[in-house]
Amino acid sequence: MVILREGICPGINEEFIKALQSEDIKTVEDFVSCNPEELAQKCSLSYKALVAVRRVLLTQYTAFPVSGADLYEELLSSTAILSTGNPSLDKLLDSGLYTGEITELTGSPGSGKTQVCFSVAVNISHELKKTVLYIDTKGSMCANRLLQMLQTKTPNMEEQMEALQKIKVFRVFDVFSLLACLQHLRSNGLQKASVGGGSVKALMVDSVSAVLSSLLGGKQNEGMSLLMQVAGELKMIAKDFNITVLVTNHVTRDGNGHLKAGLGQSWSHVPRTRLLLQRVEDAETSSLRTATLTKSSRQVCHLVEEFDLCHWSEERRTSISGKRKLEERSKP
Amino acid sequence: MTARVRMAENGAQLVSRLEGRQSLRDIEPNIFPVDGGPGQGDVVEFHGLEGTGKTETLYHLIIRCIMPVQNGGLEVAVVFIDMDYHFDMLRLVSILEGRLAEDSKEGDSSESEPEERVHSCLRRLSVVHCNSSVQLLLTLHYLENTFSSQPSLGLLVIDSISSFYWVDRFNGGESTACQEANLRKCAELLDRLRRNYGIVIFATTHAIMRNYASDPGVPEVPGSSSSSRRWRSADSSTDFDKPYLCKAWQRIVTHRMLFTKNHVSKDHKQVFSTACTSIMTKGVKRCLFQVIEDGIKFVCDK
Repeated sequence: MVILREGICPGINEEFIKALQSEDIKTVEDFVSCNPEELAQKCSLSYKALVAVRRVLLTQYTAFPVSGADLYEELLSSTAILSTGNPSLDKLLDSGLYTGEITELTGSPGSGKTQVCFSVAVNISHELKKTVLYIDTKGSMCANRLLQMLQTKTPNMEEQMEALQKIKVFRVFDVFSLLACLQHLRSNGLQKASVGGGSVKALMVDSVSAVLSSLLGGKQNEGMSLLMQVAGELKMIAKDFNITVLVTNHVTRDGNGHLKAGLGQSWSHVPRTRLLLQRVEDAETSSLRTATLTKSSRQVCHLVEEFDLCHWSEERRTSISGKRKLEERSKP
Repeated sequence: MTARVRMAENGAQLVSRLEGRQSLRDIEPNIFPVDGGPGQGDVVEFHGLEGTGKTETLYHLIIRCIMPVQNGGLEVAVVFIDMDYHFDMLRLVSILEGRLAEDSKEGDSSESEPEERVHSCLRRLSVVHCNSSVQLLLTLHYLENTFSSQPSLGLLVIDSISSFYWVDRFNGGESTACQEANLRKCAELLDRLRRNYGIVIFATTHAIMRNYASDPGVPEVPGSSSSSRRWRSADSSTDFDKPYLCKAWQRIVTHRMLFTKNHVSKDHKQVFSTACTSIMTKGVKRCLFQVIEDGIKFVCDK
């Protein structure tokens, strides 16, 4: 609620506020909901002044309608699709991560969510030369691993350093610091965070359930409210700055024993696309994973693709029979 | 009592108020009951879990409204209030292009370029983003002027009106009246708008409250899979349709549509179902549909 105070708009002074308070009107929404004619009769303010103030307040605080045609033109020019670097994931995501949307990776521990986030971050900073903001809530960010991934892409030290510089890491360990970090990013503009000419195009939060799941449950409302506030901030950042947001989440089992994303029904409406990562049973190498598309507005659901965490840019053909000899790349 | 005291309106506003808006009764006979389509002043609530096709159905209905009459549309202007940044304009335009292309194959398409036709349709749509329930209330007050001055505006879509449910509940503290105050004021304002101007309102609500048979007051506890096994499985359609928004909103709803996931068809396509109940007709109108590239395809079941 927005409290009526002196100076929030021209025409509101001390006596104006006092006169309204005598009618028990303390907030902007109470004021706007009242009929100005009745109000002018009840308190000592002039009808003209009330109507003028009402108009100014409405102009200040409402959201304005945008014509569909203008919105479409704007979206056409600003929406981008960022490739993840892995052809199997790109196929599932309909050619990549779309800006202006939230994509969610879910999976049990060890299913590779953080590794996928690293690989996508490295791809965006090295191939696409854009800045990535990485919010780490679990302490799992490891710069050495990023360097390893970059070293397999290019032997040039300078390029590696440049790409590493484009990944900005924020460490937050509770929901209030997460909200403060997101609000700070949103209000100061992301341009300040961009590095070396590459504008910010991706925000990753690994993982959002680590800070939220401890607040949920029981009958308190605070946890759900904080969850929805985090969701609102992420969405606003994605839409207003035209970046893609990638979050990771844990899994639980539903009543039928199937895996579903954590954080409950209210969070499930938030991401636009959801991938479920799972280990491949009886695989020759332990780095194979499958990704299942469980929510998408662009593709048929329940598509499954297999991919290898170690060989990120290779197209993986699922073999039905026979063995495949995979070279173990020696890690430098 | 306060309705008698009206602000002075000019001639155009008077005519637009008295003339009435274009009727939307035939907007989609597949999903609305026979003779029970949304008339002037009706409020339709679209309720369902995530991924059950509510947004796709909204796009389908909006496109029906904004398309020109020669393509089978109603040429009605639409205001779309987007509360959770969910609106996908690119998807809407791809469905619109598909529809315009298929309808123009029969008719004469020499008048204008396809792009120009898409633009003229999109000019009938306005989109507003709200980021709190207070902003929704103030925006509705602001839009009152738009409704009175534009008689071609027949449909208001709010997606979704339950987005700020938890935030409001927390901000309201202990008292339920405080928690529901914003939504109650919005519902009262919507009631006034629909009665004065005869617009139709479509609103989506997320299904987040589980309908426990023995304990109706308990909201769903996320992450606790052990407790969910005690209750019925989620296959029954009444499991998630507990109405949880304030009474003022429930009083103005005239049609309620429940969306659920049905089965997966033989060609691996998910089939969705809607069940529409309204206060004017008896019984439930059910319908099945699939989501394809060009929008919604209804599956004839009878």
